[in-house]
Amino acid sequence: MSTVLKISELEVDFQINGVITNTPLRGINIEIKAGKTLGIVGETGCGKTLTATAIMGLLPSSAVQRGQIEFADHGVINKSEMAAIRGSEITMIFQNPQSAFNPIFTIGAQLTMVAQRRGISDIKAILVARLESVGLRDPRRVLESYPHELSGGMLQRAMIAMALLSTPTLLIADEPTTALDATIGDQVLTLIATLQKREGFAMLFISHDVTAVAKVSDEIAVIYAGRVVETGPAHDVMSSPQHPYTRGLLGAIPSAEKARGTLVTIPGNVPSVLTNIKGCAFAERCSARIDKCDQEPPIVEIGNRSVACWVVKS
Amino acid sequence: MLGGEIMSEIVMQITELTKVFPLRDSKVGFKAVDSISIDLYKGEVLGVVGESGSGKSTLARCAFGITEPTSGGTIILGQSLVGKSRKATRELRAHLGFVFQDPAGSINPRMSVHAAIAEPLMLAGMDSDSIDKRVNFLMDRVGLATSQLSRKSHELSGGQCQRVAIARALATNPKIVLLDEPTSSLDLSVQAQILNLLEELRRDFDLTYFLISHNLDVVSHLSDRVAVMKDGVFVEVGSTRQVVDAPKHPFTRELIRVYSGAAREFDLDTWQDGPMNRWAFQNVSTFLPTRKIEASTKPLEFKALIDDTLDAITIDVADSTYTLPELLADVDTDAIVVVRKATLVYEKYFNDMTEDSVHLLQSVSKSILGALYAVMVERGVIDIDKPIAFYLPELVGSVYEDATIAQALDMTVAINFSEDYSDPQSEMARLDRAAGWRTNTTGQDLGLRSFLGTMTASGEHGKAYQYCSANTDVLAWLISEVTQTPYQELLTRYIWQPMGAHDDASIIVDSEGLSVGNGGISCTTRDLARFGLLIVNHGRANGEQVIPTAWIDATLAGASADVESADYLQALHPGGSYKNKWWITAGASREIFGVGIYGQYVWVDPTSETVIAKFSSLPIPVDGVHSRKHMALFKAICAH
Repeated sequence: MSTVLKISELEVDFQINGVITNTPLRGINIEIKAGKTLGIVGETGCGKTLTATAIMGLLPSSAVQRGQIEFADHGVINKSEMAAIRGSEITMIFQNPQSAFNPIFTIGAQLTMVAQRRGISDIKAILVARLESVGLRDPRRVLESYPHELSGGMLQRAMIAMALLSTPTLLIADEPTTALDATIGDQVLTLIATLQKREGFAMLFISHDVTAVAKVSDEIAVIYAGRVVETGPAHDVMSSPQHPYTRGLLGAIPSAEKARGTLVTIPGNVPSVLTNIKGCAFAERCSARIDKCDQEPPIVEIGNRSVACWVVKS
Repeated sequence: MLGGEIMSEIVMQITELTKVFPLRDSKVGFKAVDSISIDLYKGEVLGVVGESGSGKSTLARCAFGITEPTSGGTIILGQSLVGKSRKATRELRAHLGFVFQDPAGSINPRMSVHAAIAEPLMLAGMDSDSIDKRVNFLMDRVGLATSQLSRKSHELSGGQCQRVAIARALATNPKIVLLDEPTSSLDLSVQAQILNLLEELRRDFDLTYFLISHNLDVVSHLSDRVAVMKDGVFVEVGSTRQVVDAPKHPFTRELIRVYSGAAREFDLDTWQDGPMNRWAFQNVSTFLPTRKIEASTKPLEFKALIDDTLDAITIDVADSTYTLPELLADVDTDAIVVVRKATLVYEKYFNDMTEDSVHLLQSVSKSILGALYAVMVERGVIDIDKPIAFYLPELVGSVYEDATIAQALDMTVAINFSEDYSDPQSEMARLDRAAGWRTNTTGQDLGLRSFLGTMTASGEHGKAYQYCSANTDVLAWLISEVTQTPYQELLTRYIWQPMGAHDDASIIVDSEGLSVGNGGISCTTRDLARFGLLIVNHGRANGEQVIPTAWIDATLAGASADVESADYLQALHPGGSYKNKWWITAGASREIFGVGIYGQYVWVDPTSETVIAKFSSLPIPVDGVHSRKHMALFKAICAH
């Protein structure tokens, strides 16, 4: 199976006048196969969205990027090459559909602009068909509507339709269900999975919601403080987490089955992006910490899993 | 506490609490909370779970005296909040604590942590030494260092802010604490810290929590009892184990499924969706009430001459090239039968189907009703230009008072009806509930008749095409009423037996035994092909005229150009229209077809004299991509 996206040693610094102010991405290594979904899970500030932004070539000018991004048959691509395929071969949907659409244009006008840029002919018919394919039964009404006239679920469907206008090779979905009610979010997840099965695009699915990530992903990458700490098949990561952070995160999910007051907690907080991190970023919160943890941890291969940790054994 | 032990004392009693917000365009207003009664017991955690707009926050605000309820009220520790003096209200409020979702927003950004926690104590008239002592105690209990007392909210993390908010809520030693989405803006690992803290404080200080959240995991983890709220009412209340392990209400079941990450299971609310529909569409009569449509004693037999070369044709659609078997698999085909010039040339079954299995037709059922109406008109039973209420006076006052039978046949009734299959509030979902196709716990729309009577007009009839399933149900009811004969018997007598059906078919009926004309018929694939053959053969079968030729010609000619069409129809079939419950392609070969959601078709090409009957179990009801693939599939077969 061919690889659609391969990111190696991606690092991002923010600099002011050549001075590094912080390094929010410190080593992202991920790979997505054709037609498959990689889920990125992590907490606030760990670098999930920044990773997507870097892939799309949309980092601000104060950011300095290292490492390489290979995409489909383009090989290694730089920022300007990415600009040429952004929105056609790679498309993206965002967390908050209300703010992703421009409130003063109708959905139809905005979709038409995208379709024109993609050089699509017979725009009206294509838009109607696309909106139907995302489960919007009354496409004409949707096209004539302003964003505030549609529900969050309908808007998210419209945004999915926009992202799929050009039949992309890779869809990046950044927290696509976070702003939606649980049941509506689930419908959107089911829709995305159905469309993916039918149209065969690969997907990078980013969320803080472990359950949502587990539901749609083939592979999962857990990010902590700008670094991938564990990757592997979704089922394996969920059922037998290896990295102490992954174990803590999964143990923190409340449920009726767990006795009250006994949730696994990770002491302290996610380090601020301004923290100067040496060695393993999780070490200061880790109960399994050893002396060596102040050095950069090795990547340990455990079966089909990769774990960045001094403590776990292969 | 609870769980079989003796119930402890009631600390809060909520009685028939209702909150109505006035709306500009409505005399009634919006009822956010609808007559809710519940008691809170000392030391328990009552969790209210619901989605945005369910009314849970309004309920809590009214119960805790933040918002004035429209009617009903709360008794807190034996005292009513209503009609108290300011002083008495303040004293009573000292027994209540509040923690809200956004901790940074509920702490004054100009106040230090110390000032924020001290404020309620000052209001209670405590002296400054005692305040300092109390603040230090609280800081320790919520896990914050006293070194942070001088900080302001923007200098704290989200978790720390929420700890301050909890300390402030507990400052006056309250008995009952409202927790309104207390962890919703926190990261998972921080949420776990706060949930553990809340449980520890509840035990140590003997607190009672009124917890509200959209997150079922949080609610079920912390609560003794769970109330599930939807549209202003509790749809289910019970002990947490009871609600989580044996949910009764469909909404609760759906929530639990979503949070468990599990795939949907087969039930009355999911049977139409993939993959449950694969079995369900072949076995409708095992879980819904049906009536028999009887086979002919002289079935029409086909000559069979299977054309294997069809398997080799290639079809270009949606940027890909498929062979026929590939495309059939791609559209989740259950069965296909192709009859050309009275000869069976292609027949394939999948997913446990055989030539003897029946399959639900969904809206292809509508096209069969169209044919029955042709016979009824020819026999002079009805006049289709009469308003529907002329024959069904029960419908006076509804949209069907003015709309004619012909307009219902051609789908040009201007009706307030959303055919949105995914929206549980749409009229289509109401129709499904009325027909018994979905669980109906609303107490409304009990049966098709009462539902159809509530439909209203949206404009002038006959001007524009508007697909609406209710129009077909009303016609099935009408013809059965006029003839005083059950709909299934009319179909048996005038269509199924004369056309030479080989097998019995069936139709789903509602709770009153009324046929669901819009989509309830199940039949074999070959019998559906026999029905299509009637069109090819100018209405004749077994040497008899079954349906009038003139009607077929009128149908093939399509709707009048004056009728405004719909974009999705024009996108699929430029110049196409809907006439007499059939879809008209306006294509070169004058094809017409009947179509049902999830991929059911009867396709008739009068030029090549080909009929295709095809069943599928697609995962979603409608979408343009699948429609296009089907059109390409049918045209390629007919052109071969």
